[in-house]
Amino acid sequence: MDIGSLLDARLLIVTGKGGVGKSTVAAALAVAAARMGRKTCLVEVEGRQAFSRLFETAPWDFTEREFRPGLWGLSIDPDASLAEYLEMFYGGRRLSQLVVSSTAVEFATAAAPGIKDVLLVGKVKEMERRRDVDGRLHYDLIIVDAPPTGRIVRFLRAPEAATELVGVGPIRSQAQQVVDLLLNGQRTQVLLVTLLEEMPVAETVDAVAALRELGVNVGPLFVNRVLQERFDEQSRKALADDLEPAELTALLAEADLDLGDLGLEAASALRDLGMAHLRRLELQQQMREVIERELDLPTIELPYVYGAELGSEAVTMLATEFAQVMT
Amino acid sequence: MSRQTGAVLEGARRRDFTQVVAERGVIVCTGPGGVGKTTAAAALAIAAARRGRRTLVLTIDPARRLAQSLGLRELGDEPHPVAGVDGLDAMMLDMKRTFDAVIDRHAPDPRRAERIKTNRFYTQLSDSLAGTQEYMAMEKLYELHASGGYDCLVVDTPPTRSALDFLDAPKRLTDFLEGRFLKLFLSPGMSAGRAIGRVAALSSGLFLKVASRVTGADLLEDLGEFFASFEDMYEGFKYRAQAVYRLLGSHTCAFVVVTSPETPALREARYFLQRLAQDGMPTAGLVVNRTTPALPAALSGLDGKSVPAAVSRLNEGGPEQRAAGALLRLAVDRASVHRRERQAIAAALHGVDPKALVEVPLMATDIHDVAGLEELGAYLVRA
Repeated sequence: MDIGSLLDARLLIVTGKGGVGKSTVAAALAVAAARMGRKTCLVEVEGRQAFSRLFETAPWDFTEREFRPGLWGLSIDPDASLAEYLEMFYGGRRLSQLVVSSTAVEFATAAAPGIKDVLLVGKVKEMERRRDVDGRLHYDLIIVDAPPTGRIVRFLRAPEAATELVGVGPIRSQAQQVVDLLLNGQRTQVLLVTLLEEMPVAETVDAVAALRELGVNVGPLFVNRVLQERFDEQSRKALADDLEPAELTALLAEADLDLGDLGLEAASALRDLGMAHLRRLELQQQMREVIERELDLPTIELPYVYGAELGSEAVTMLATEFAQVMT
Repeated sequence: MSRQTGAVLEGARRRDFTQVVAERGVIVCTGPGGVGKTTAAAALAIAAARRGRRTLVLTIDPARRLAQSLGLRELGDEPHPVAGVDGLDAMMLDMKRTFDAVIDRHAPDPRRAERIKTNRFYTQLSDSLAGTQEYMAMEKLYELHASGGYDCLVVDTPPTRSALDFLDAPKRLTDFLEGRFLKLFLSPGMSAGRAIGRVAALSSGLFLKVASRVTGADLLEDLGEFFASFEDMYEGFKYRAQAVYRLLGSHTCAFVVVTSPETPALREARYFLQRLAQDGMPTAGLVVNRTTPALPAALSGLDGKSVPAAVSRLNEGGPEQRAAGALLRLAVDRASVHRRERQAIAAALHGVDPKALVEVPLMATDIHDVAGLEELGAYLVRA
């Protein structure tokens, strides 16, 4: 599949194992899409306020706000979503407020399994279908920072489970429309984020299989925090073969760098750092091969940004990378 | 960083988990997702077993990562001896079976238990009611502790978004089951128990009118019966939940918070530590996994100013020169990442005492066997 077509989707659902940086990737995709002129909305569903911190805005809530030119954001919570839903169907604020009491959502959660997730995804569907007065679709692209891979299948399966459980009525037809959106590969793509490490890769392989079984379109795989090579082929070989500390000390001295009294010890510490780096690169390469072997997915590698973890610098940099691969 | 925070952290850096693995009966590893809680739990369990204590490591992680790191292909829901570590068993929580056992224990008679277990909501409750998984984990932990078969139990917690859900889980479940809203639903003025199955009589409530229009009536009937069936069990649940909470708060137990040095994870770790302190839970310390260590002392003299010039000269040269240049860059970048991590850790722990603070460097390879876990364990338990 073609990476360039990524932004032709209407809805991108971003997931990944905890700690792999899925929020950063979701944010960077949104920035890239907005820069390319797509009216984009970035959606948070777990109420972590990751994006308000990232973009240094006021805390996000259920109101869609344009926080950068062409880029909207909101945080969907099930309570607000339920209230909106009931209002839509039954009018009257009084009733919806009565229902949305402190334990109502807790109740609803247990009452119909996964209804919390249905409400969250239901709101996303409403945004995706929304049209302006001139009849045009309100948003070009919606990007959801979804729950991690451990919960993603349950999250995406919730609407279908609701249709199975609820035979008739408005919840059923609502849920059916959500299922239709999620399973439409033209409109919806699920994007996974991983690291080139064993456990994240293993979890990604499992998640892709489960997602495909669910029938969703799995888009390109984002490989985050890829360590830079740092050595060209020849210099890597020079290091791996026989770069002795004494030789290294001499090379550094020629380049006017004096390691002082600890010269030899320092050189051998430098060499150890380099060898450890090469071992990690090797592991990365093995993981690349696993991904290639196990998954039929195009991949987009994102470099490790030193110290800029989940910062707006990282997002801006990644957005630029995306813009390059996607045009 | 204030001087006070600095002093607290330096003190905490000198401590580790030696006493915890030697003495405590229950060790709970908690923290945000994807930071290595499960491997930390396994490493601590190995350390406890190495001290001659009968130890069990219990995981509730559906990704079966503990199995992976213990070199087991599968982890059953029965204790399973870990090859190569005498006295250590491992097991995975089977949610469904634990929940079934809870129902069996608390239900007034087998017929009632059966009716609950065949209700269509029951099978999905574990997934849908927030905190159920955590509750079951603590339930199992309590049961294992009470059975007295082990000297030390080590457990990891699920990567729930709202951090310490498991502390609230017993309370939430019981609050929920006896909640005002639920009673309203079951019927005004009638105790839940007497309402079994009589949904028609209950549907006078405003909410029910709305709800049945939205979902259809048969759904509500099942639901009504389901909750009504629970009524006789409220007391049992509540009593047990309180016992679990008391166990967690006692000094038999120790909490180890695990995090990574990334800001969002550190922020959550701070919240965990604060929340544990607020609840009076016995915090043993904080583990920061995957850190970038300081440069070896021999390289501490590398100064940022002279390096760039040397690097550009070296990059003009042959393979050996270019290798030397890359090594210099690597060292300087590493030092800068280390400094940023230290700052992030200090910022996250401002005004919080983590008791012990152990920073574990990023290992050259992933941990997937007992040897790797012991390597990790050597950082957590230095003695």
